[in-house]
Amino acid sequence: MSIQASSIYWEINGKKILNNVSLEIKNGEVVSIIGPNGAGKSSFLNVLSGDIKPTSGNITFDDVNLKEITIQERSFMRSVMSQSQQIVYDFSVKEIIEMGWLDRGIASYSEDFKDAVVNVAQECSVSDLLDQKFNTLSGGEQRRVHFARTLIQLWRPSDSKDPRYMFLDEPTANLDILHEQNLMKLVKEKAREGIGVLLILHDLNLAAKYSDKLFLFKEGSLIKSGSPEEVLERDILSYVYGLTMRVERDPLRVNYY
Amino acid sequence: MRVKPLVKNLLRFTNSSQIYLLGVLLIAFLLAFLASISLGSFNFSVFELFNSSKTSLHTTVLYEIRIPRVILAAFVGASLGLSGASLQGLFRNPLADPGLIGVSAGAALGASIIIVLGSSLFPGFIFGAFILPMAAICGAALVISLLYVFTRGFGYQGITYMLLVGIAVNAFASVGIGILTYISTDSELRGLTFWTMGSFGGASWYLILPAIVVISLSMFWMIPSSRKLDLLQLGEPEAYRLGVDVKKLKYKVIISSAITVGVSVSLSGMIGFVGLVVPHLVRLLGGVNHSYLLPGSALLGAGLMMSADLLSRILVQPAELPVGLITSAIGAPFFLWLIFRIRKI
Repeated sequence: MSIQASSIYWEINGKKILNNVSLEIKNGEVVSIIGPNGAGKSSFLNVLSGDIKPTSGNITFDDVNLKEITIQERSFMRSVMSQSQQIVYDFSVKEIIEMGWLDRGIASYSEDFKDAVVNVAQECSVSDLLDQKFNTLSGGEQRRVHFARTLIQLWRPSDSKDPRYMFLDEPTANLDILHEQNLMKLVKEKAREGIGVLLILHDLNLAAKYSDKLFLFKEGSLIKSGSPEEVLERDILSYVYGLTMRVERDPLRVNYY
Repeated sequence: MRVKPLVKNLLRFTNSSQIYLLGVLLIAFLLAFLASISLGSFNFSVFELFNSSKTSLHTTVLYEIRIPRVILAAFVGASLGLSGASLQGLFRNPLADPGLIGVSAGAALGASIIIVLGSSLFPGFIFGAFILPMAAICGAALVISLLYVFTRGFGYQGITYMLLVGIAVNAFASVGIGILTYISTDSELRGLTFWTMGSFGGASWYLILPAIVVISLSMFWMIPSSRKLDLLQLGEPEAYRLGVDVKKLKYKVIISSAITVGVSVSLSGMIGFVGLVVPHLVRLLGGVNHSYLLPGSALLGAGLMMSADLLSRILVQPAELPVGLITSAIGAPFFLWLIFRIRKI
């Protein structure tokens, strides 16, 4: 079970944003897209989640073309966390998390609803915030709440074998080091439960530590893909980022200052 | 068959204190209804309503004048409250109001044309009484079509453009109404002025029954979308990723608001601020989720409108004030307070 993107092109007003990108996300795998600003990372994520129709190219979720999957079915298969917008009205944290709870019209899901919210809130360490107003939280706390919502969206009874995917655009932005590590460990744990995870990360060392596979983007093209050991290589990184880098092995570590 | 899961689904995201509050609003609504039908230039005790010993004059006043008027006020209030709440949800803007996107203005222009030019355009037309509402609905529908055409290509940014189109439509309509005011005769001017200030005075069963049907249908079409409006608060892309067909939701809110507002404006004139004030009060009372906000706004809108109409009838007896004056007198300071409150955030 996997998501396959093949030969994705996307251009607006004659400007190529994505140029022949192909990649695969398998269930149970953590893959990360890295690359400088404007490399097309977020655009690719938008294409993959179906927000944007690519100019050409194909996307399949478990061998079904994305075009043939309805908006609602998509929401059951994948959740997306992106740089979020301001919320105008005073929703409580609990209400925001519950928004990830989709009505599948299956009774067993509804019965587990309350437990699921409590468990996920605990995992994301937002249990103490549940009754607070979302707008009064700090940026980092808001990110954690949105992450909890992303997890709730993919929640299933433990015996479920549904293929599921999670796309996270810089999930660790605004997080302190403790919560950053906790979130990444949780992501890894969810992958072990069978979710296919696509991350966009700026911190190369974070990406190296937690990803099974890396995809390096530059100017809309996929420059290199493979295991962190293969991709995080001095010459390529220095070329892509335009900055001299040193790469240490065992443990793998990128130094740029 | 479909109603049960629907109600269950609505209630799932409404907490117990909100359900209790909706009950309180319902009781307030019923009290306002009873007060409105018993008080006025003719007083009836509630007991009298169930008693057959009434004079025919009383019966006529009650059943032919008072009750249709009160029911019309309730429906108009519910329309304005509900469409205000849904538009504020759609635009994610606490200042959105049926008047804002120009629907009320479009309806008002349509109706004004009939008030001023009607007698020369349709002399002795059989369906004379329906021409005014029809013209208002046409005006509202024209505005919706304009909004549709102008915002079609703007994608996720469409909502901002829609507000701007609304401003343009409002300006255009006030020019139209201005010209009509200028060319009208004295008696037409009087009708026009009174109608722009809003009144439930002209209510009769003949006029309000179709309006009740249309408004009710439109409400029952809108309220089940409350969960989708909640999700929309995360932003349009997020709502889409949670399975909401954002475009469809957008048109649903706009069309249902336009129908309810168009019908309301045609029967009672422009009644300002209800669509703005009511949803805010409901939010302050019990929360911001739309499964509570939409029915709450409809109930409170109806209750407040009946009370405002009651005030307009009893304040300067035996004359009466235009109800729009009363709602604006309450609404305008509230609007200012709201602006200051938003600036603080």
